[in-house]
Amino acid sequence: MPPQPLTSPQTVLAFKAGRAFRRGETNWVDASPEKGALCIDREDEMLRLLWKTRADGDLGEELILFPGDATFTRVTQADQGRVYVLKFSSSSARHFFYMQDTSSSRDEEFTEHVNALLQNPSYVPVWQERTSEDTRRRSIPQASSSPGTSAADLARLRELVSNVARSTGILSSTPDLALSDILTPANLTPLFTERPDLVPALFPHLPPDLPVSPSPEAIQQIIASPQFRTAVSSLDRAFRTGMLQGLMNQLGLPEEAGSSVEAFLYAIREQAQGGEGMETD
Amino acid sequence: MSGDDDSSGWQLTESDPGVFSELLKTLGVPLVVDDLYSLDPESLSALQPLRALIFLFKWLPGAGEPELIGGAYDPSFPGFFAHQTVNNACATFAVLNAIGNIPDLAQGQQLQDLLSFCTDMDPQTRGMAITSADWLREAHNSLSPPVAISLDGLGLPKTSEDAYHFVVYLPSLGSVYELDGLKQHPVRHGTFDERGEGWVKKAREAIENRIQTYPASALEFSLLALHDDPLPSLQALLHSAQVSGDHDSAAVVSQRLEEENIKRERWAFENSLRRHNHFGLLHALLVALAKDGKLDTAAERARKVMKERVKARNAKGEAVMDED
Repeated sequence: MPPQPLTSPQTVLAFKAGRAFRRGETNWVDASPEKGALCIDREDEMLRLLWKTRADGDLGEELILFPGDATFTRVTQADQGRVYVLKFSSSSARHFFYMQDTSSSRDEEFTEHVNALLQNPSYVPVWQERTSEDTRRRSIPQASSSPGTSAADLARLRELVSNVARSTGILSSTPDLALSDILTPANLTPLFTERPDLVPALFPHLPPDLPVSPSPEAIQQIIASPQFRTAVSSLDRAFRTGMLQGLMNQLGLPEEAGSSVEAFLYAIREQAQGGEGMETD
Repeated sequence: MSGDDDSSGWQLTESDPGVFSELLKTLGVPLVVDDLYSLDPESLSALQPLRALIFLFKWLPGAGEPELIGGAYDPSFPGFFAHQTVNNACATFAVLNAIGNIPDLAQGQQLQDLLSFCTDMDPQTRGMAITSADWLREAHNSLSPPVAISLDGLGLPKTSEDAYHFVVYLPSLGSVYELDGLKQHPVRHGTFDERGEGWVKKAREAIENRIQTYPASALEFSLLALHDDPLPSLQALLHSAQVSGDHDSAAVVSQRLEEENIKRERWAFENSLRRHNHFGLLHALLVALAKDGKLDTAAERARKVMKERVKARNAKGEAVMDED
């Protein structure tokens, strides 16, 4: 049989990887020497993970990936250090892979893109440029097809960030404002009573296994729940570390938006003014 | 319980009846857990057959937990007892120490295999076997948000978050036992009279004695009842009332069934919230506020509120936003 092509028009990510298998019930995994590639294909918002041999493109493994169900993490106990495990929260299945590219310089980048896709199938991996001085300018992955933040906006955002840093110190121990004080019933209830047109955009963000249909009432219950309130206050605390770049990427915002609550709100205002296509799925 | 010094991949879960009941469902065990607000016979009658009582309390550093409050250590307890080897796994350890001692209980295959694997082990080894059961850890963790999007890696200062400890009281071989995964051995509180209230009477005494020993302010506690899932028997009762034309009984049972189902829906709703990453909704709400032109005023108000809060806290000499 002639070699099959490794990637298809549906492939959004592919890199060289081999498979490793657990030895019986032990904690050892043995690498299978076969040269392969890990591909993530996307069709109609559904992700599939495919492992193929590079010799003839034969499909060795195919897994369907539901958003948020799987993670791809490095196995730190592994000797060569380039072993990864794909774990599912919906089952106890584990799939081990190891990077086969001779250079490990892109391992982290591949892993980040894989995990971003696993969380959000609409994620668009954007690859780092490598300039001669090895300064990496990262493009911003967009979670939707909107135009995103313009260069002017980014410049203003950076200015805002440095202003905040100058006036309050880089890791401010006392933030200027808290999201918990913005996302209050007093501020949010009018959304449901006066702007029903804005409510459907919230539905895709509700738990996928919510036992009731999405509705304004369900959303208001969720907003009032201890779980939601805890998420808001933990995000408030996380802003004090200024390390929210990863989360900002997931939300389709520039990394600078993660440096403070002010910067976050600024970026959101810009996003809201961007018009259609803001809604991530 | 100072928090997760060694979490070994076990996430802290809430101690809500819905969480416990979902865990039991995952283990394939036909028991549920409900809040108990009192130990008097009337409250308990609706929960028969009662399999175990779980006493949970918020661990406060310096509270000075007395070693033994009544009863005696039983190092040769022949039943199931495991030491809790990981802080965050409290809820699972309480459940296992309970169901490991309930005879004739339906169990899922993985649970059966785990319990039989642990049969001849000492409590410490049993504890380690339990914490290394990946499927069990995943079942336990499935009731908190996925780690991949949590903020754990950011090294946030811990708040005074819920570090609950659980102690199980149940009957085994004619005596009431107290099983505490942080204690060296099970505690035997003595034999009980099968008649009347049975083992619950003795357990109530032991629990009330325990509560008495704490100074009023030092302890926040609650009680959970582990009992048979009432739905199958209620459904059977309803069916037989209907076929025998007993409309009055049918109405009463229908009512209880409806209450039970409403509660299960609430649990399912809350559990779906527990598993969910809320940041997407949080972001979407802020975008909606911005589109409605209300974000700026809300932010202004929030800045004022924060200023007031800081002033008040500074006046009292406390740090801002260190507590939940």
